[in-house]
Amino acid sequence: MAKYYDELLKLCGFTDRDITQEGLRIEKAFQKLELGPEDMMNAEAWVRQHHDIELLGVRRILGLWIKELVDLVLCRDEGKKVVYYGFPTIAGPGMAIKVAAPEHVYCSCPDAVLCHSLGQIFNKLDPVLEAGEQNGLPPGHGLCTLQTIRVGGMAKGIIPVPDMVIMSSYYCDMGSKTDELLRERYGQPAIVVDGSMDSRWGEFPDYRPERVKFLGAELNKFIDKTREILGLDLTPDIWEKAMAFNKAVRVRVRELTDLMKADPQPVSIAASELATLLITASTGRSVTEGPEVIATLSKEVRERVRAGIGVLAKGSPRVMTFLTSFTDPSIARMIENAGLAMPVMFNSATLRMRPLESTYTTIGEKRAEVQLEVGMFHSSYGLAKRWAEVVEDFKLDGSIWGYQFNCRPSAETSHLIPKFVTETTGVPCLSLEVDYYDNRIYSAEALKTRVETFAEMLKSRKAEGAA
Amino acid sequence: MEALDRLSDHLSTRLLDLNLAKQEGRKIIGYTPGGFLPEELVLASGAIPIGFIRGGNHDMVELAGAYICHWIDTFWRAQIGYGISGDDPYYSIIDLLVMPITDNHSRALMDVLDDNTAIEIFPFGIPHTKDDPAFKYYLNGITRLKAKLEEVTGVEITEIKLKEAIDLCNRERELLREISLARRSRKVPISSRDFIALGHGSFLADKQVMVEVLESVVKELEEPVVSSHDGPRILLTGSTLAQGDSKVIDLTEKAGGVIVIEEFAEGIKPYWESVNLDGDLMAALADCHFARRVPPGWFRPGRERLDFLVKLAKDFDVAGVIWYQLMYRESYKVESYYFPDILKKGAGIPLLIVESDYDSAEIETLRTRVEAFIDTLRR
Repeated sequence: MAKYYDELLKLCGFTDRDITQEGLRIEKAFQKLELGPEDMMNAEAWVRQHHDIELLGVRRILGLWIKELVDLVLCRDEGKKVVYYGFPTIAGPGMAIKVAAPEHVYCSCPDAVLCHSLGQIFNKLDPVLEAGEQNGLPPGHGLCTLQTIRVGGMAKGIIPVPDMVIMSSYYCDMGSKTDELLRERYGQPAIVVDGSMDSRWGEFPDYRPERVKFLGAELNKFIDKTREILGLDLTPDIWEKAMAFNKAVRVRVRELTDLMKADPQPVSIAASELATLLITASTGRSVTEGPEVIATLSKEVRERVRAGIGVLAKGSPRVMTFLTSFTDPSIARMIENAGLAMPVMFNSATLRMRPLESTYTTIGEKRAEVQLEVGMFHSSYGLAKRWAEVVEDFKLDGSIWGYQFNCRPSAETSHLIPKFVTETTGVPCLSLEVDYYDNRIYSAEALKTRVETFAEMLKSRKAEGAA
Repeated sequence: MEALDRLSDHLSTRLLDLNLAKQEGRKIIGYTPGGFLPEELVLASGAIPIGFIRGGNHDMVELAGAYICHWIDTFWRAQIGYGISGDDPYYSIIDLLVMPITDNHSRALMDVLDDNTAIEIFPFGIPHTKDDPAFKYYLNGITRLKAKLEEVTGVEITEIKLKEAIDLCNRERELLREISLARRSRKVPISSRDFIALGHGSFLADKQVMVEVLESVVKELEEPVVSSHDGPRILLTGSTLAQGDSKVIDLTEKAGGVIVIEEFAEGIKPYWESVNLDGDLMAALADCHFARRVPPGWFRPGRERLDFLVKLAKDFDVAGVIWYQLMYRESYKVESYYFPDILKKGAGIPLLIVESDYDSAEIETLRTRVEAFIDTLRR
């Protein structure tokens, strides 16, 4: 007998067999999430309106996010140890935990999972945000909305209290402090992985070895604490395997990213974002099904490229954003509808990494060294420099520095990055205040005027250049 | 108080004195006021430490808007305004700005000044936790600072010079502690306003003069208290209490409250601990200024400070706590949600949360809230 969720699941790439196999779990999870028949109808309309559902790859990636959501909601009931990490995060620790006990551990960034499922598919994140606001992170104070979603999810009982939390204390203060709030309330054990972004403006790519040693020692401490709290031994072999899993997904993402460079842009950036963020938010479905599903999307996109099919006119000005909205695909659509192609998000761009002959011996130090080389956890200047490099490498016509207003490491660069990028590349950079996690105020409509003005300027520059 | 008059006189000519000292070849070292810079190192190098503690001026906050969005803590935006506009003359006379990088708000100042001014900045990172790697990182930071100061001043910081400087700073801390603890008495011998003036003065004054002023205050406190302040006893706490930011103190006093103890991460110099002179002096500095220091709100775990606040509330027998925070300092905002419960359980007293963006338009709202709170405490 057909169930109220069948149509939506099919729309999201589930086969009849998938529905039969996962049906009971999905039903149980939807009950916890208070998702009923009306929500399914609303979600169907939302998905049809904002996602490229003619592409099977897009539908299946949406399906993966639903499966990840179900895994998250049910993990405690299914007897798993629950581990959360934050966003952004150093690649590796979460995946290493998952690899060490794949059947017994659920490990993810739960707030990012809720954004991509309850937000991107169901457009029903507001009750979670409101619960977060009522339980410690009130609106109007510039508090991180991603953290608000985590607090709200736990307050509403839709995501379980974890057995362990890994704090990204090397980057933001807010995530770590929210974990403190949750520890006061629920007693969740938290491992502080600390660091200090004390390199000066202009210092990147150089850094002092003490920074590697400090962050490295903190990551090594995480390994010890994981043994203590979860009884898991994160050996070098485990780390190697974790990085290999990570790489397998990233290789697929890179294929997709490369295809996005085509002119005309073959698919909305909202679609490739769904794929890119999988590996950041999940250590489960992203690994087990992610590579194959992303490959399906890449195959379809490749066909579009061959046929010269695009979602924008050929020759449209090309820009980059830091991310696209985690929760609301209509924002990326609005930018594209303004006539701006977005072949790349900074988050998924390939960076100019210099060859690294590491002299460090511990796992923690090796991971720390890579992170400092990447730039974002090095300093704001490191991020600015990398941003400018990507603008040059992708030969972009402009970039949109969408700074997350309630994220301090991001907000502090509101003026610095656009100034630096424009001065060093000669390519215009728009400073745009955004909220990637909450569309109640920073909606597509609210951002439209600024984006459209920027788009007109880029179009006219491009026309002048061509003349 | 006569001693305070002397401090005031000293500070009124301080800029002139510093210019003269500079002409004579002494170096002026500016620093941001989170209590993580060991002034001892600056003094031992023969340089003069000057803490940037001005605040309370909304014009400076507005001015910062040309360089950064407004979602950064008010005090640090004000520093951007002072640093770029030259409105704070101390910014113009320093040879080096030492910045202990505490959280993303102080980092914002470093980046904006680095990009927009010619001020030479020496940052060193303050970890947010108190484990062994963090201690080593802090120790490494102040060791690098020592080398930098030797390079800037051309003076070697010897063991003897450092010990002398530690002795002097320990004396300052002991005196501040003694004066502060005197306020545990039912007859409060010194107002919070005066105590804060001493604290702010200690960021700017010549260290020897400051110690003499504090010794005079201690002597004055030995005299019988003629008029005591009555009214509900208050603990004032928060992120930053800058010089010039007296709104909440004015309102509390006017409403009849008596602030008897303050705890702030910035603007009130930590005075509870002294540097131990046994063993390696650099490690001893790190032990006092980092390991034993009451951690600010952005430390994680941050429970140590909250437990300390409960202890202060009991020791100073306060009737209520006023939690005064500046806008967008997220660590304090998050703590302000769960601390009232801890306080209630630990000391059985209520807490009032007030926030400021240094905006004069806030005053009436603040007044109503503070007056209502003090009224409730009276009942």
